[in-house]
Amino acid sequence: MRDKNIKIEVTDGAAIPSRKDPGLFNAWRVTLIGTIISIVSLVIFKPDPYLRIIKFVPDGIIITFQVTFLSIALSLIVGLFTGLGRLSKNRTINLIASIYVEVIRGIPLLVQLFYIYYALGSFFKIHPFTAAITAMTVCYGAYMGEVFRAGIQSIDKGQTEAARSLGFSKSQTMFYVIIPQAMRTILPPVGNEFIALLKDTSLVSILAVSDLLRRGREFATQTFAYFETYTMIALLYLMITLILSKIVSILEERVKPYDQK
Amino acid sequence: MTKSDDPIITIENVYKFFGDIEALSNVSLKVKKKEKMVIIGPSGSGKSTLLRAINRLEGVDRGKIVIDGQDITDKNCNINKVRMELGMVFQNFNLFPHKSVLQNLTMAPIKLKKIPQAQARENAMSLLEKVGIKEKATAYPAQLSGGQQQRVAIARALAMNPKIMLFDEPTSALDPEMIGEVLDVMVNLALEGMTMVVVTHEMGFARQVADWVVFMDEGKIVETGTPEHFFQSPEHPRTKKFLSQIL
Repeated sequence: MRDKNIKIEVTDGAAIPSRKDPGLFNAWRVTLIGTIISIVSLVIFKPDPYLRIIKFVPDGIIITFQVTFLSIALSLIVGLFTGLGRLSKNRTINLIASIYVEVIRGIPLLVQLFYIYYALGSFFKIHPFTAAITAMTVCYGAYMGEVFRAGIQSIDKGQTEAARSLGFSKSQTMFYVIIPQAMRTILPPVGNEFIALLKDTSLVSILAVSDLLRRGREFATQTFAYFETYTMIALLYLMITLILSKIVSILEERVKPYDQK
Repeated sequence: MTKSDDPIITIENVYKFFGDIEALSNVSLKVKKKEKMVIIGPSGSGKSTLLRAINRLEGVDRGKIVIDGQDITDKNCNINKVRMELGMVFQNFNLFPHKSVLQNLTMAPIKLKKIPQAQARENAMSLLEKVGIKEKATAYPAQLSGGQQQRVAIARALAMNPKIMLFDEPTSALDPEMIGEVLDVMVNLALEGMTMVVVTHEMGFARQVADWVVFMDEGKIVETGTPEHFFQSPEHPRTKKFLSQIL
């Protein structure tokens, strides 16, 4: 039968804490506690400017989350079609999907953001928020496509043959048999991409989208408290990604082998 | 309608190449309704390729294969329709691991034949009873032994109510003590009058069940005959050598 322990390695997400690391002082716990202590003590012992920063940035956190979740949802859809396209036997579809992945992976996200907002923006008016979501989706759609492709390819060929021999068409086989199984393999790397994407949303601050980083910059330019502001922004990002990586690790844990339901 | 004398499977002058290798070389065969044909031969002889060509899991490069009046080598043939009439059992079972045993059996009838769920479940339960594994209906494939999985796989194929059953080395991946339980199910199926094409190394099964035994080597059919002919007086030296090695 198929190997139940297939894992797809993805490079740029945060470290996902392992639940098998039993120590009280594992890296995740120490970092999280350190972060919380830092934030709390800075706010208590030096409320000016740290408390003021904390009060200034929540709108930014909301925008950061909005960009993250919208981009994730859209890039999952783009990714599914890209992954299927990369596996297609139709040479044209396959080529289009492969070129898309090659092009996107070869251009820095920041350049893509500039390109969509400023370069394409010179032809038609585009809202910064829309440009941000579009760029993130186009970029992460390509990465997600590779994750989907790997996930689908990890399913044993015998599964396809069994489904086809019963009379299922190609698309029914994909939909009823392959993708439901691939989801389990795909979940951890998708979680990883999720965290990487959240961090990368900080780039959209360059397009005048008032995300967490942008709000921090606004505060810093008003008060000249650069050191304090960016210290707090870094700590806030760190806390968000730590919590997210924990959620991903819990999800990963819940994806049990089929015989443990 | 096909008369019972007409072949339900007709294979005519079929060729199949894997690169330069001739996997099937001018193979012709006929199987009539209710007949049981056993294909034997050394590994790499093309016997699995031939079996897989019957439901087009393996396309052929030349020749014609007609299943119950439908030419499946014709590009316009609706292969999915034909496959519903052809049950297939694999060496590695290939059960759907994300579905329970019962769901493995009901999925295709519900989705493809639009059979109501309650009826599909009822059919499935009686098939599971037939293969002696009713108590495992709610289990998942990974919780079953190899022999149990293969019996479920046979039941899954039967759930589509096929006219023909194809078996591709159904016992080769099993521990020796589990081979018997699977062969018993296959013998019963044969006694009920199912048309069967079986690729196997189980000579006892061939002797007991087969109407015809086909010996293949290097992509060709070397010899065809009744089990009596085969195991008592094989003609071709290649057949004699093969039988002497495995018996």
